[in-house]
Amino acid sequence: MTVRRLLWAVIPPLVFGVVFIGLWELAIAVFDWKPYFLPRPTKIWGQFTDNIDLVRSSATVSGGNALVGLLVGTVLGVGVSFLLMRFRLLNDMVNPLAVAVNAVPIIVLVSVFSNMFSVTSEVPRRLMATLVVYFIVLVNVAKGLRQVDRAHLELLRSYAASPVQVLVKARIPNAVPYLFTALKISAPAAVITAFVAEYFGGSQNGLGSRITSNTTANTAAAWAYVLGACLLGLTFYLVSIALESITTPKRGASPGGGTTT
Amino acid sequence: MTEVGASAVPAVEVTGAGKVFNPGTTRQVDALVAIDLHVGPGEFVSLIGPSGCGKSTLLRLVANLIEPTSGSVRVNGKPAPQARLDQEYGMAFQQAGLFEWRSVVKNVELPLELKGWDKGPRRQRAMEMLQLVKLGDFAEHRPWQLSGGMQQRVAIARALAAHPPLLLMDEPFGALDEMTREHMQAELLRICGETGTSVLFVTHSIPEAVYLSDRVVVMSPRPGQITTVVPVDLGSDRDLDTREDARFFEKVTEVREALRGHEVDELELARGIGDV
Repeated sequence: MTVRRLLWAVIPPLVFGVVFIGLWELAIAVFDWKPYFLPRPTKIWGQFTDNIDLVRSSATVSGGNALVGLLVGTVLGVGVSFLLMRFRLLNDMVNPLAVAVNAVPIIVLVSVFSNMFSVTSEVPRRLMATLVVYFIVLVNVAKGLRQVDRAHLELLRSYAASPVQVLVKARIPNAVPYLFTALKISAPAAVITAFVAEYFGGSQNGLGSRITSNTTANTAAAWAYVLGACLLGLTFYLVSIALESITTPKRGASPGGGTTT
Repeated sequence: MTEVGASAVPAVEVTGAGKVFNPGTTRQVDALVAIDLHVGPGEFVSLIGPSGCGKSTLLRLVANLIEPTSGSVRVNGKPAPQARLDQEYGMAFQQAGLFEWRSVVKNVELPLELKGWDKGPRRQRAMEMLQLVKLGDFAEHRPWQLSGGMQQRVAIARALAAHPPLLLMDEPFGALDEMTREHMQAELLRICGETGTSVLFVTHSIPEAVYLSDRVVVMSPRPGQITTVVPVDLGSDRDLDTREDARFFEKVTEVREALRGHEVDELELARGIGDV
């Protein structure tokens, strides 16, 4: 039964993917599209396997920047959300700002950051990824810590629970699914940020910069790095989902899903 | 269900209590005015009244979840804040309010955990309580795997876990279907009979109040006050047949009329305003 369900989950998108790539290949042959316009999938795959070492080392650089941003941003976001929960006034000042920042493309700041550090420094890229992750985590975790079921709070008050006990028994467990939702959003965001940050200059060592440096000379190679970027982003996403399924009870629901009435 | 001994300390003693929300503002609400309420040890008292009559507010005053604006509230002879700190009561709401990240048995353990009980005795007591509500087999389940009625029974087991002498319940069966509701009412009477727990019970169901209570306290809104107290002398061995009893219907009628008295007032008031 589960095998069947797994097959049903895997086969349709797989068939779609194969058909799509087939049509892509066919369209290039039929319409005689030039390689600089759109290279053949087989050509891209060839470039991918030929340059696999370079793809791997570039992915390590970009992935490393994204990972540093993800870790530092998460730690900072969680830390500050605790402060916001503790100090009401601070929350009222910072939270609307954080929500607003989440809605604007702060990635553009990277060129400003680049001016602050040496040309070859990875710091501006990491800083950018950190910032993106930080705001996503902050907004979500702060919400999880604050939006505790009123019945739970009354119950804990009736048990004469101390503020620390309320934090440990209700607020933190309540915020855990919010943290994983934040990670699911911010893991791919960190990767995207790491790539795009490379477009703004600095060392030509990551996937993003290899894409830009190959677009004119060798379009198929540029696409090979795009493929690498896709795989890296997917890896980050899958790891964040796996972490969620390990640490939270099988519920099949994100925050807010399924109340216990 | 026992009679109140003259010398025994009352479970609840509310004297001249009032509660004003937002005092001195345009949104000022006199939620409760001059409330006198007495619940004897082992007694089952229901608070009934239309929405907004302050019955939940009164329950929360007794639980010390809110402070009265005037008057005094004593629980088991202690001032309400002290009684709360000493865990003199257990509480259950309309929403079961189980912690979904905890297993059923860990939910029941929570009040004991906060009191600093060791793991062994804690688990043992929680299992006893789950047996009492006939959910022993579901100890390791998660709350969302249980039906609404079962969740409510877990909430009652949790409220009883620390063996509080008093149970405060705010429409605990309000969200249940009729069949489950009647079953739960019988279970509650059985449990309270076995443990000798006093109960203050908020409801807006007349048959529920009559079936469960030794006394039904009828309240009216704007401002919230007690208008009538209906003693229900149906004896302590109430079962499914009690609901078919002529005396049961008499009491239901009595409570209904006590409630309706105010409805008539309100209707006449509305008509009077309409005429002007």
